[in-house]
Amino acid sequence: MSDSHPGAMISLRDAGKQFSSRGMTLRALEPLSLDVAPRELVAIVGPSGCGKSTILNLIAGLLCPSEGTVQYDGSEVTRPNVRVGYMTQKDTLLPWRNVRDNVGLALELKIRRTSRGAAASRIAEMIDLVGLKGFERHYPGELSGGMRKRAALARTLIYEPETLLMDEPFGALDAQLRLLMMDQLQRLTQARRITVVFVTHDLGEAIALADRVVIMSARPGRIRRIRDVPLPRPRDIFRLRFTAEFARLYEELWDELKDEVAKGTDN
Amino acid sequence: MQRSPLVWQIAFGVGLLVAWQACGATFGVAWISSPALVAKKLAGWLMDGAIYVHTMTTLVEMLAGLMLGLVLGVVCGLLLGMSRLVAMIIRPIVFAVYSVPLVSLAPLLLMIFGIDMLPKIVLVATVVFFLVLFNTMKGVEMVDPDMIDVLNVMGAEWHESFRKVLLPGCMVWILSGVKIALPYALVAATVGEMMAARRGLGLVLSESGQKFDVTAIYAVLLILTALGLLIAETGTRLEGSLLRWRRKSQ
Repeated sequence: MSDSHPGAMISLRDAGKQFSSRGMTLRALEPLSLDVAPRELVAIVGPSGCGKSTILNLIAGLLCPSEGTVQYDGSEVTRPNVRVGYMTQKDTLLPWRNVRDNVGLALELKIRRTSRGAAASRIAEMIDLVGLKGFERHYPGELSGGMRKRAALARTLIYEPETLLMDEPFGALDAQLRLLMMDQLQRLTQARRITVVFVTHDLGEAIALADRVVIMSARPGRIRRIRDVPLPRPRDIFRLRFTAEFARLYEELWDELKDEVAKGTDN
Repeated sequence: MQRSPLVWQIAFGVGLLVAWQACGATFGVAWISSPALVAKKLAGWLMDGAIYVHTMTTLVEMLAGLMLGLVLGVVCGLLLGMSRLVAMIIRPIVFAVYSVPLVSLAPLLLMIFGIDMLPKIVLVATVVFFLVLFNTMKGVEMVDPDMIDVLNVMGAEWHESFRKVLLPGCMVWILSGVKIALPYALVAATVGEMMAARRGLGLVLSESGQKFDVTAIYAVLLILTALGLLIAETGTRLEGSLLRWRRKSQ
């Protein structure tokens, strides 16, 4: 059964995941199918524990599906997918490296080996892009949560992955900073024409950024609803919230999500 | 007027010396000796130069053992830490060996390796090995697997994530193991020398004991104290410079 959309960048086909340890089996993800087109921005929203992060781990090739298949650009993902950039929920910056060396990490690897001079100028460019100029020599422990997220974003974007996977990228940030980062992300992804799959529990964030919003049900996760977001681009992230279209979409999707959130908190 | 603690510390030290001198003068110097006698003894040793050889011998044994134990401890710790299965098999054996007071291996090592520096080096290395081994294993365990995942998605090969994440990630633990091991290394070298040796501070200590030369014992203890402080301070500095990020992150 090869009914995946031809030309889909990412294609999950009845892909599910269960973990077993000490004789117990825990189902993290019910088999689900999802296609993401090239340069599409898809947001996955759902209550905590619904397997959102599992989907990203499957696409990144860090987990193998227990059943079904996960394809990336037409071929099955069986090992870490080096064509994607993955921003995990924790920032996973290396605490012993300063911002500059964290951002440049990928350029040191054999697969992406870059000359010293070229690496230095790209690092400077990325640091400037995420607004961390002047903090090059700071260690992650000296930075605020927002700055660390931005450093992690720079570290991921520096090797220009064609797809960006993000797990609650702005979760720990305050409201203003979150809007700033979302705006930055929108501009970056538009300029670089990259595919994005991001996971969030914030419905507003999902609608503001995504071309399509996927609503997940409570554990064990399955897709409850997929909704196109027909808002034109570029979007004014800072004012979008006050428009009627946004409110309508929000209300429509919230009706779906609220039942699941309620279920998710029951157990 | 505000006095710094240093003033008080010096005053206390001087007070102790005066009390010691007074005790010696009152009760006789046979068992208590006195600061003046110890100072004279030390000055004499420094003049005739024999004490340098002994001190260097102890230091070399300690440092050589330290290096040997450190390298083996880190290598084995990394291997054990990374392989769950091997760790499961080996761990109880390692624990059993470790619960033996390791300096009690000294007589055995002396029989096997003779009475020169080698048995002491092996003894120091054994003591250091176990402390570093445990800490390195713990360090591997504590490395955030998400960091390795991120490197894998970036396209890192195995040796790259080892060098860039695992090893520096363990460094905090390895260094704290070394810091704990430092005083034990000095103990092991000295104890080894006390049992049988041609040179070394431990030998001077045991010979002085046999000759009831209390002043010489105190003089050696003083040298050992100075060595211990020097070594501990070096360890702290080394850790500080290697873990600069940690200090700045607090």
